[in-house]
Amino acid sequence: MHTPPVIQGQAPDQVYTQMKARNVTASTAKLSAAHVAIAGAGGLGSNIAIALARIGVGTLTLVDFDVIELSNLNRQQYKLSQVGMPKVTALKQNLQEFNPFITIHAYQEKLTPATISKYLSSADIICEAFDAPQEKAMLLEAVGTQFPAKPLVMATGMAGIHSANTITTKQLRPNLYIAGDGTSTGAKGLMAPRVMIAAGHEANMITRLILGKTTI
Amino acid sequence: MLTINGEPAATATGTTILALLTARHTPIEHLVVEVNGQIIHHTDFATTTLQTDDQVEIITFVGGGR
Repeated sequence: MHTPPVIQGQAPDQVYTQMKARNVTASTAKLSAAHVAIAGAGGLGSNIAIALARIGVGTLTLVDFDVIELSNLNRQQYKLSQVGMPKVTALKQNLQEFNPFITIHAYQEKLTPATISKYLSSADIICEAFDAPQEKAMLLEAVGTQFPAKPLVMATGMAGIHSANTITTKQLRPNLYIAGDGTSTGAKGLMAPRVMIAAGHEANMITRLILGKTTI
Repeated sequence: MLTINGEPAATATGTTILALLTARHTPIEHLVVEVNGQIIHHTDFATTTLQTDDQVEIITFVGGGR
C-alpha cells in the first residue's frame, strides 16, 4: 500500500481506517489487494475509476490516448481547469485527491491488439470503457483470445435519456459481463446521469468480482 | 440444431460467418462472434463455416462511453 505523509494533521493509518469505516464488512483487504485495468478514461472510465478508487481498489491501471475537451465536461469527471490535459494524467490527479492510499498507473496510449498484453496483462480484472463500438469489439476479441481466464467487464448502450431501468448487467459467459441497454448509440447525445448508471453497473460488477461474487 | 444467440436458426450448414453477418445490418467491425464458446477473429470470418449444432453468439456493440 502506498502511504502518504501526514494528512490533514492526522497519521495516515488513522485516516485510512476512517476512510474505510463504511466499506462493506471484510471487503477492504480484498479490495486493497486487487488490480483493475480500465481501458478508456472518458464518461465510463473516469466514473468507474473514481468509484473504485473511493472504495480502495489497491491498484488501478488507466489507459487512454486522448486529451480533455470542453465537450467532455457534460459527463466526464474532469474540471474546466484540466481541459487540454491528457485524460489519464488528470484522472490520476483527481483520484489521488480522493484516495492517496492507492497505486495508479497512467498510460497515455492507444490500445491495440498488439499493446493490450503490455498494459492489461498484470491486472486481475479488465474493464472496457471505450466509446467507439469497433474499439469495444476489438478489446473483446483481443482479451477473449489472449486472456480468456481474465474477467472482462464491458458496457454498450448508455446514450440518450431513456429510462435508467433499461440499463442492466448481463453475463454472456464465464468472465464476460456487459452492462448497458445494448441499443442506444452516442448519436443521441450522451449525458452524465445515464453514462454514470452504466459506469456504476460496471464498477459494481468489478467490486462483486473482487469480493468473490461471479453472478450478476 | 444450429443456434444464434440462443435461438434456433435456419442458417445452412457450410455458411461462412461472413455471409451470415453480411445478411445483418450492423457493421462487421462492431461485432464479436463466438462459435461454441470460441472467439472467431475477424480475419477468419470469410473462411470459417458453420456446422450442424454450432452455437453461435453474436455480440453487437453500439457507441458512447469514452
